[in-house]
Amino acid sequence: MIGTIDQESRPRLDWPQLIALVLLLGIGAAFIHSATSSNEIFSTRPWFRQPFFWHLVYGGIGMIAGAAICWIDYRQLSRWAIVAYWGSILLLLGVFVVGKEVYGARRWIDFGPVQIQPSEFAKISFIFMLASYLSRPVEELRQPKVFWKAIGLMVLPFLLILKEPDLGSALLLLPVGLVMLWAAGTPPRWLIQMLGAGGTLIVLLLVDILFAPPQWQFKLEDYQRRRLLVYFGIDFAANAPAPERARLRREQRAHSYNVEQALISVGSGGWLGKGWNQGQQIALGYLPRAVAHNDFIFSVIAEEKGFMGSFIVISLYSVVLFTGIRTAAQARDRLGRLLAVGVVTLIFSQVFINIGMNIRLMPVTGVPLPLLSSGGSSVLCSLIAAGVLQNIHLYRRNY
Amino acid sequence: MLIFDQLKKDDPQLRALTALVLTGVIVLLSGLWYVQVVASKRFVQNQRAQAYRTVRIPAARGKIQDRNGQAMADNVPNYRVNLYLEELPKLFKDEWRRTKPVGPLKRDERVSLESMARFRVVSNLSSHLGRVLNLPIAVTPGDFVAHYSSQLALPMTLANQMNALQIARFQEQPTIPPGLDLDVQPMRFYLYGTTAAHLLGYLQRDNQSREGEEADYDFRLPDYRGKVGIEKAFDSTLRGKAGMKSVLVNNLGYRQAESTWVESEPGTNVVLTIDLRIQRAAERGLQAALNYTRGAVVVMDCQDGDVIALASSPAFDPNRFIPHISHAEWEALSDPKLRPQLNRSIQENYAPGSIFKIITAMACLESGLDPERILHNPGHIQIGRRVIKDTAPPGDYDFKRAFILSSNTYFITNGLNAGVDRILEICKSLHLGEKSGIPLPNQETSGILPRPGEKPISWHDGDTANLCIGQGFISVTPMQMAVMTAAIANGGKVLWPRLIDRLVPQDPLLSGRAWVYERARVRDQLNVSPRTLEIIRDAMRADVEEQGSGKAARIPGYTVCGKTGTAQVTDGTGRVVDHTTWFAAFAPYENPRYAVVVMVESGSSGGGTCAPIAKQVFQALRQRDLGVPTASTSGSPSNPPTPSEG
Repeated sequence: MIGTIDQESRPRLDWPQLIALVLLLGIGAAFIHSATSSNEIFSTRPWFRQPFFWHLVYGGIGMIAGAAICWIDYRQLSRWAIVAYWGSILLLLGVFVVGKEVYGARRWIDFGPVQIQPSEFAKISFIFMLASYLSRPVEELRQPKVFWKAIGLMVLPFLLILKEPDLGSALLLLPVGLVMLWAAGTPPRWLIQMLGAGGTLIVLLLVDILFAPPQWQFKLEDYQRRRLLVYFGIDFAANAPAPERARLRREQRAHSYNVEQALISVGSGGWLGKGWNQGQQIALGYLPRAVAHNDFIFSVIAEEKGFMGSFIVISLYSVVLFTGIRTAAQARDRLGRLLAVGVVTLIFSQVFINIGMNIRLMPVTGVPLPLLSSGGSSVLCSLIAAGVLQNIHLYRRNY
Repeated sequence: MLIFDQLKKDDPQLRALTALVLTGVIVLLSGLWYVQVVASKRFVQNQRAQAYRTVRIPAARGKIQDRNGQAMADNVPNYRVNLYLEELPKLFKDEWRRTKPVGPLKRDERVSLESMARFRVVSNLSSHLGRVLNLPIAVTPGDFVAHYSSQLALPMTLANQMNALQIARFQEQPTIPPGLDLDVQPMRFYLYGTTAAHLLGYLQRDNQSREGEEADYDFRLPDYRGKVGIEKAFDSTLRGKAGMKSVLVNNLGYRQAESTWVESEPGTNVVLTIDLRIQRAAERGLQAALNYTRGAVVVMDCQDGDVIALASSPAFDPNRFIPHISHAEWEALSDPKLRPQLNRSIQENYAPGSIFKIITAMACLESGLDPERILHNPGHIQIGRRVIKDTAPPGDYDFKRAFILSSNTYFITNGLNAGVDRILEICKSLHLGEKSGIPLPNQETSGILPRPGEKPISWHDGDTANLCIGQGFISVTPMQMAVMTAAIANGGKVLWPRLIDRLVPQDPLLSGRAWVYERARVRDQLNVSPRTLEIIRDAMRADVEEQGSGKAARIPGYTVCGKTGTAQVTDGTGRVVDHTTWFAAFAPYENPRYAVVVMVESGSSGGGTCAPIAKQVFQALRQRDLGVPTASTSGSPSNPPTPSEG
């Protein structure tokens, strides 16, 4: 009995969550290996320069970063929230100045050996900023001024990331912000109005993009517009002049190609899949090699491990998410609760959008799958976010 | 629920968040369930459709063999050098990088320049190969682009039909360039060239699926269909069953792997009754007779109807039809006078001339002609207002003398006494005017038998006189004359000629036993008395053995019996423009075994042109019966072709 009390009184990690995180990281490395093994660019490198190894390296760094975050009570950390927030805003601005352009988008800043994606870090600092801002007494949140300020905190990074352009990452901020506002106790009426207004705006925007004549359309990046058209199954050659039509049709096929191939990968996996490293879609290059190991890693897992693999992956995410919600429920204060809610919403949104994209529930957006997709910034930020959850769990009581 | 239990009752937001996450997880799982379990089959099919290409693999064609199992048409390995394009993308890329112009390019320009770069790589490889093999190999941009765009999953053949030296040269290169490799394909080969060409027939390129076979293939390897002769008649037996392989292709269409889905089943061998040695002896005899002999030899077993040789001259080389015949060669095969494609043994009607006197003789003897009775021949005979000259000298003739000197006067006089109906009755029992049932499609003609009662012919004695000496409204094929000769020799059995001996599966272990065709099928009986046949056989023996017209066929120690004939060929106005010469014979006299009929167009005379050919054939037959090893006389098969024309 004494032991139990002793254990209860000592800070403890949220082990189920930690184990789920480590497993996801391992699965990620295994299938990144699978996804890149037939890609000459990667497979000719020595093993320690291959993406799967770097995935583990970033995972290790992320673990250390997460542990470091656990060292300091989140309440002390949150005092730096404002610094982190404006720092990441500066980085986002920096992208436009020194950013590296890849496929027409500036998302990365090159720091010699490493490149970082400021938008990933912006998500975390945004959660911290909004949580610490909203952790004030509930009564204050009923003031419109506070509400609008909170909205402003959300819109600023949103617009900057949208401008990169990285629509997927930008859109992620919206559910995270809204759920946090709501969990904080903002009057639901306002949120519903916001949602209503936002929803109408999005519908109008979509109608404009999809159906309006070109000169009336909202200026969207060409590839974004096409992705949307592909998602909604609209023939973008429908009202083009005849000579253009064939070219546009070809283009459309090429653009819907990724989604189709991802769907074939997932579907052909069946119950148990074809086995690790046996995925034909990758081996034969039908699943584009450039995206197989990052945005479309899930389709690789689904093809090689079938529905069982998908089920395990989703179960592991569920463990992370539900332990996160429990952490939120057990948190010592509103700050911890809001932080946990923010992190849970962020991870959930990414998982839902990314996996949904693989089975055509969602349009193609460049949202990585946390801990599975290859990409240092994403892995690092996911683990830092998980570290925040552990931190709240650790300091859930007063000692 | 476990998840909700951990939450405080008074925390609606977190409860709602939990519900939201749970819903999301369930939506994803049910979506995945649908895609991966419910609709999985569709996606598996989609994947297969995009990643697999099916290829039709023709089966190894059955052999055509002579009665002793000697192959006449066989499959020989065709050594080829193939270019496997899937090994070249890196070279293509390097070449493109090396040669691409600086500055931005339009899409179309880029595509065509890349295509050019690929062609340069292939062109360099093929000219390298050409130097190694010492053989000009030309790949045109058109060829390459066509192959690249429509047959990328298949290798591109650069050199065909390589000989041993070229294979050695290829193999002994210090390093074999990327993408090049040897491969072997079966190729039809007629070992004896023109020998029995009309009989064997030839093949024509045809890759289509046959009935009862998978119809949809992405690619088809070259296949052939029998066009003429045995190759056509037994096409379905010889060709076996095509197999299928699948080629796994990547997103660019390059081959990644392949596997055989359905093994091809080799075709069945067709064994003929032909004896290659006799066939070749007959052909040599024909060819030596004249310059560009136009003629035929039929050798038939008198007792069981087996066709031992069926020769026609001039002949063609069926090997020239593979892979396809050139225009010039086809022109040569269509020469209006020589007509090398014509199988003269069964495919053309000829006036039988004096060999028809065998039938006239039977009719006369059956209607009571006394062979001892003497008839005076004044050197001609007058029928109505028409005078028919007799080639036999004037004098007194009994049956034997009239037969061996082929007296027109004698046979017309007695034939008119016997009557046209009698003659035609015998013709009918010999089934003249009908096909003899040789299974060579579209080749056999039925000959012509006059039908006096029927319009538009108004029949006169002159017509009967003509018929008696094998002229006028009668025409026959050498095959029919062989059946007739055999019937005389074997005591009156009119046989169905038998050309196919048996069908034997190529792989003896494979199920399916040999199918043997029935021997000695009797079609009809000659309703003439044994005495009549004996008189005729004696007369035929005398024609060769005594001072008859067929003495050129005489073989010491082997009694040949025969009848010569020289038929006039007239043009539309009745003017004689040519002669068809004949010799119908059987041997040996004592125990008849073989019937040999020789026909030569534009010969000098039956005895002068045809009898010597028959003699050669009989000599070969005799050696065959004595069991003399005949490797030296039959000649060895020619080597497989090695022209290597790329």
